[in-house]
Amino acid sequence: MKKNQEKKTIHDNDTKLIRAINSGRRELFYELVKRHEHSLYNFGLRMCGEPRDAEDMVQDTFLNVYRYLDGFRYETRFKNWLYRIATRACIKKRRKSTYAPEKELSLEEFLPSDESQIPDEVPEWALMPIDKLLNRELNGMIRDAILALPEKYRVVIVLRDLEGFDTAETAQISGITPVNVKVRLHRARLFLRDKLKAYFNHDD
Amino acid sequence: MTTKPYPHQECLRLFEKLSEFIDDELDAVTCQDIEQHLKDCRACTACMQTLKKTVELSKCTGSHPVPETFSENLKNLIRKMS
Repeated sequence: MKKNQEKKTIHDNDTKLIRAINSGRRELFYELVKRHEHSLYNFGLRMCGEPRDAEDMVQDTFLNVYRYLDGFRYETRFKNWLYRIATRACIKKRRKSTYAPEKELSLEEFLPSDESQIPDEVPEWALMPIDKLLNRELNGMIRDAILALPEKYRVVIVLRDLEGFDTAETAQISGITPVNVKVRLHRARLFLRDKLKAYFNHDD
Repeated sequence: MTTKPYPHQECLRLFEKLSEFIDDELDAVTCQDIEQHLKDCRACTACMQTLKKTVELSKCTGSHPVPETFSENLKNLIRKMS
C-alpha cells in the first residue's frame, strides 16, 4: 500500500459555490452564508443557550470561514469544516464565561441505586408516539437538560443526535476519537434520560 | 460496605453497549446476543426502550428562526467585506 495515499476529494452541494468564491467571485460568499445561517444559529442556541451568544458565534464563525476559505481542501464536506470552526467558537465563548467547572459523568451514576430502581416494565412515556409527547414545555425541558450537560458531553450529543452527524464526522468536528464520541454520547443520553424520567414521573 | 443489588453481569455489559445497539453500530453477533437477552430480560428491555425514546425526543425538538435584525446585520457585514 502506498504510504502517502492521495486524500479523497469530496464533492457536495457547496463545492461548486466554494470553487467560484475561491476563483475570485467573493461576492458569492453571502450565498454560502444564507445556506448555513439557520442551522448554524440553532447549533449555537443548543450549545450556548443565549440567543446573543449564538449570534456572536455565528458571526465569528462566518468571519473565520471567509478568512480561511481559500485554504479549504475539499477533503471533507464543507458543513463538517464549518461546524468544526463553530464548535471551537462555542468552546472559546464558554471559557470566557463563569460556568461551573466541567464534571465527568460515569456510567455507574446512571445504574439503579437499589432494587426499587430496577424497572420491570417499560414506562408509559417510552411507549407513546412522539407527537403525543412533544409539547412546548417538554421541548424546553430537553433544551435545558442539554445545556446542563458538561460541555464535552453536550458537544457530542448535539452533533450526533440534534445536528445529525455520524460518529466519524462528530469525531472529526470535535477533535476526539470515534471511541470517545461513543462513550461520551452514551453518557450524555443517559443523563438526558434521567431528566426525562424525573419529568414524566413528576407528572404522574 | 454497602452491597448493591446489581443486575446480572450480562445486563451490565448490555448497559454499556445500549447506545451502539440503538445506533446499529455493533457487529451482527453482538446484536444477536443482545436481542436474545432482551427477550428474557424486562429490566433491560425497559432500559433500552427509555433510552431509545430519549434519543427520538431529542431529535424532534425543532428549531428557531434566525432573528431578522441579526440576519440583516450579518448580510450587511458580509457584503461590505466581499
